[in-house]
Amino acid sequence: MELGTTRTTRTATASPGKKIAEKGLSLFGKLILLGYAVGTLYPLYWLFISAFKTNEDFFNNPYALPKEWKIDNIFRAWDLGDMGRGMLNSTFVTLTSVILTLVLGLLAGYVLSRFQFRFKKIVVSLFLAGLMIPIHSTLVPLFLMMKEVGLLDTYGALILPYTAFELPIAIFLSMGYMASIPKEIEEAAMIDGNGWWGIFGRIIFPLCTPIIATITILAFLRFWNDFSFALVFINTQALKTLPLSLALFSDGFGTDYALTMGAMAIAVIPTIVVYLILQDQIMKGMVAGSIKG
Amino acid sequence: MPTAVRSKGFIALALLPALILFVVFVIVPIIWSAYYGFFEWKGIGATKFIGLDNYREILQDHIFWRALKNNMILIVSAIVGQVPIALILAIVLLKNSFFSRFVRSAVFMPMVLSTVVVGLIWGYIYNPQFGLVNTILEAVGLESWSRAWLSDVKVNMFAITIPINWSNIGPYMIIFIAALQNISPEIDDAANIDGAQKGKKLFYVTLPMIWSTVVVTLVLCISGSLKAFDHVMVMTHGGPAQSTELLATYMYNNTFRVYRYGYGSAVSTIIMIISALLIGINYILTRKKAD
Repeated sequence: MELGTTRTTRTATASPGKKIAEKGLSLFGKLILLGYAVGTLYPLYWLFISAFKTNEDFFNNPYALPKEWKIDNIFRAWDLGDMGRGMLNSTFVTLTSVILTLVLGLLAGYVLSRFQFRFKKIVVSLFLAGLMIPIHSTLVPLFLMMKEVGLLDTYGALILPYTAFELPIAIFLSMGYMASIPKEIEEAAMIDGNGWWGIFGRIIFPLCTPIIATITILAFLRFWNDFSFALVFINTQALKTLPLSLALFSDGFGTDYALTMGAMAIAVIPTIVVYLILQDQIMKGMVAGSIKG
Repeated sequence: MPTAVRSKGFIALALLPALILFVVFVIVPIIWSAYYGFFEWKGIGATKFIGLDNYREILQDHIFWRALKNNMILIVSAIVGQVPIALILAIVLLKNSFFSRFVRSAVFMPMVLSTVVVGLIWGYIYNPQFGLVNTILEAVGLESWSRAWLSDVKVNMFAITIPINWSNIGPYMIIFIAALQNISPEIDDAANIDGAQKGKKLFYVTLPMIWSTVVVTLVLCISGSLKAFDHVMVMTHGGPAQSTELLATYMYNNTFRVYRYGYGSAVSTIIMIISALLIGINYILTRKKAD
């Protein structure tokens, strides 16, 4: 399914009926919508104001602005939760998995969109089935398999399954996109003496920038926020990703609410900043991915 | 023909890494868990073949049925909570004005947050001492309604649905906006000229036009709800007294808390079968309606 994204012309040439419908969004309607939006954002606002309070302040006035803005929680959370380590681990695991997903996914997508070969149908339906598989039903067997080969509790225990589970979406998104690239471009490149690898590396890959952006966004959010795989496959403190260091706060510092809020603020800021900068692409990308999924 | 040989080599080298990784980490585990479901195994030592005993035990365990029921609660809450609200928001926020763009991006924001953050912050919102829900109830004089939302077994499963809906309305709204923008303006105009009322237009013109999208969102509701795990793990761990257990947490607790790997494998296989069944049923039902 294609997303209608460049339909701005429509609103410009709105029909009379359309105008009535738009006037229908009265001040009252707008107020309700505004209330809904504020309600949606309120938990985040609460998180941020609480992160700058002392525990005493938090208990006495949980919903007021801080009496005194204190940054201690942020620093304490950073140290106690070893969040610098968590952030490094998350960054490394996410980056490596995203790159692997892109390279393997686009290569496979290119082969499946351009070449005919004997087992093609089986390969495509295998990947298609991958879109339907509930991820948690593989936790137990993956745990056992990786235990057997000593992969458990390594970066590979996250990078390899992350990539494997993201491949179907990457492959189908890139197949769909590559179908729109005219074959003549490749024929011309072939005449110029390029092999398939050269064509893929020099021509197809650069032409795929928009779909690469979509795949990257989807993969980044999925890997960066993943909790279940990290929970089951990682045990060593030094390898814990950000969501795991956060979960630790709910158990270990259960009653130090301001501290936990500080930890959450640290974890949430990078994603929110990325979201504010790239929100249109993120919305489009996540929707494209979920529809394909 | 050198080029044919070269393409064969390229096909193999370009496709195989992805294919092998996918098969080893996604397909093999499923076969593996179907196989280990027939064994009793503590993770170390000998495995013992016990046939269908694991499956029999699962089907007789009332906690399993409760977990399944809780997953169904999530599915129903997604279908009646997320989809209609998302559709209404999409209809009123279709215009690309500054106001609708602001509301849209606010509604979508929770989707990008880590599920751990969502679980933790809503755990605080439901906190019996300082939580927002009880504070509001007290402020409007409904103190008698306030309770420990996540421990009270009568309401805790419903309390859990709210944060999940909070996170998921955004993407469905954007999916619907994309679909609505693809409706041809002529059809919209024709309906308006015929004097269709807003409500009627929604049911007789708009909804049928975007029916295939509605079907997609229903499938997403089902598969998404069966995947639910993180929120419950963070907020309640499936407790108290396993009252908020889901299929996935039931599997997790049986495998990694009490080390029954054979049993956990059997539960994994059942999750696979249930989700295939539900998606299949939904496909058949909605296809009939579309005809």
